[in-house]
Amino acid sequence: MGRMKQPTVAPDVERESDIDEVVEADRPWLVIVWNDPINLMTYVTYVFQKLFGYSYEKAHRLMLDVHYRGKAVVSSGPREKAEMDCFRLHGYGLWATLSKSE
Amino acid sequence: MSDIPLKLNAAEASVLRDLVEQMRALLKESDAADPVRARLFPDAYESDGDSAAYRELTGGDLSAAKLEALDRVAETLGSGGSTKVRLTEEEAEAWIRALTDMRLAIGTRLEVTEATMNFVPEPNDPTFEPLQTLHWLGWLQERILERMVP
Repeated sequence: MGRMKQPTVAPDVERESDIDEVVEADRPWLVIVWNDPINLMTYVTYVFQKLFGYSYEKAHRLMLDVHYRGKAVVSSGPREKAEMDCFRLHGYGLWATLSKSE
Repeated sequence: MSDIPLKLNAAEASVLRDLVEQMRALLKESDAADPVRARLFPDAYESDGDSAAYRELTGGDLSAAKLEALDRVAETLGSGGSTKVRLTEEEAEAWIRALTDMRLAIGTRLEVTEATMNFVPEPNDPTFEPLQTLHWLGWLQERILERMVP
């Protein structure tokens, strides 16, 4: 459905909404890993280091976030990259999902 | 990374060979309602439509990767008896992934939670043996993992 335009009446409002659309398109996708009772903490830490090249400290902190807070954002980016990261995490049996950042 | 020694007695190797076969059978079925399958191939998105599209795009590759890891494990185990080998980095990677899938399958089947995961049932309880296997697979995974460099 098209939007009605009033070209001469409210140019500023029109411009603002264009900016919103650009921001909407640029908002990155977040790759979220959820806590599960089965995967071992050592394994989850290893996977974060292996897949994302994170230091042991960063990977371990993310693992603890997953474990104690129930989930953690482990990477983000354009949809295609986020989907690839999610796919690789699924390859290692981690419970990963994607959502658009707010 | 230097090669990782792996030593399994005949009973342990036999348990793993059985699990490889069970996992192959599970991956070749496509019962979407099976909770184990749902855990191995999770919904990537909140929306069912997006998840279905994602699964359509990636499900085949994910399944193939899991089957390939199982093939590597089967190769290491050989056809019978005990196993005493050194795993290359690539083999070790396949092993830890295959062990994860086995653990996810057993744990999901048993509906384990953080609370029940470390609960030891009576030996005559039907969950006793699979839980033991689940923990043993985890122990084995950590023995391999501690020699790996990410």
